[in-house]
Amino acid sequence: QTAINLTGLRQDTSLPVEVAADSLAVDQTDGQATFSGNVKVTQGDMTIQAGEARVEYTPDGKGIDRILLSGRVLFASPTDAAEADEAVYTIDTGVVVLTGDVLLTQGSTTISGGRLVYDLDQGTGSMEGRVQTVFTPGKAQP
Amino acid sequence: MARRAALDGWSRLVAWLKVLLPLLALGLLSTLFLVSNRVDPEDAIPYAQVDVEERLREPRMTAPTYAGTTRDGAALELRADETRPATADGQGQTAKKVNARLSTPDGAVTDLAADAAVMAPDGNEVTLTGNVTFNSSTGYDLVTEALTARLDETAIRSTTPVRATGPVGQITADRMELTQRGDGGAGYLLVFNGSVKLVFQPAK
Repeated sequence: QTAINLTGLRQDTSLPVEVAADSLAVDQTDGQATFSGNVKVTQGDMTIQAGEARVEYTPDGKGIDRILLSGRVLFASPTDAAEADEAVYTIDTGVVVLTGDVLLTQGSTTISGGRLVYDLDQGTGSMEGRVQTVFTPGKAQP
Repeated sequence: MARRAALDGWSRLVAWLKVLLPLLALGLLSTLFLVSNRVDPEDAIPYAQVDVEERLREPRMTAPTYAGTTRDGAALELRADETRPATADGQGQTAKKVNARLSTPDGAVTDLAADAAVMAPDGNEVTLTGNVTFNSSTGYDLVTEALTARLDETAIRSTTPVRATGPVGQITADRMELTQRGDGGAGYLLVFNGSVKLVFQPAK
């Protein structure tokens, strides 16, 4: 359990969410929406790229509850980036859970682990499972 | 003497009657013809105000309806203001101000409306053009310029960019297609293709 400060990825989760993809298939029976083909989810200055994204609606069907992304997922913001096999982004709580050999790069340090859970609103995160990090000692902070 | 006087009275009476009765008859007859209101034979039969030559030159049907069921059991109903039969040079039947309703077996109802429609010569596809709207009961309302719908199976696809409002947000895409699920399962898929963009505003 290592707590990480992710100020770089902190941003307001009430901004409009934009999902761009090559194709969107909506199942008419249960309303299941699946984006596929270099999916790009952008909110504010945070972008999430993935191979495929599935949207889960809120029970009343009027809003998006969670976006489940798969295929190599890449979260990026102007300063930090996180990479994983799969990710689940719950919009109203602003919590993103990345699983599957997560690689987090913050400026010059990189941290890898099994599972990364972080909260976009507070900008705090916790990495679990075989956490490894690489420091480059002695380098002058730019 | 008295009998002659009686006879005189009688013949005077008859003489007066000979004058009065014909006058009475004349009066009765005039109420029949002279006084009664004129009947104008012209407007007895209201003529249709349609230009007959134009109708002959371009035969057409007004307010036609087309109904049919597709192979997968979806009922399709087309209604138009006016339709013209196929022309000799192979152009299919055309129609104006078309609206159509597709009720698929899974209970969803899709309403289409367009300014004009052309039926393919082979008769199993109709192309709707001119601000086409596609409203589905599952909450998806689309606007596009051209849309083709197959009549023998449920397959509607748009050939021009589509702007849609879904239950969740605004969607824009290059093309759109409503088809049966490919993997044989029941139910239908509404697929958007080509630079799809969904914009969703969180409720917070």
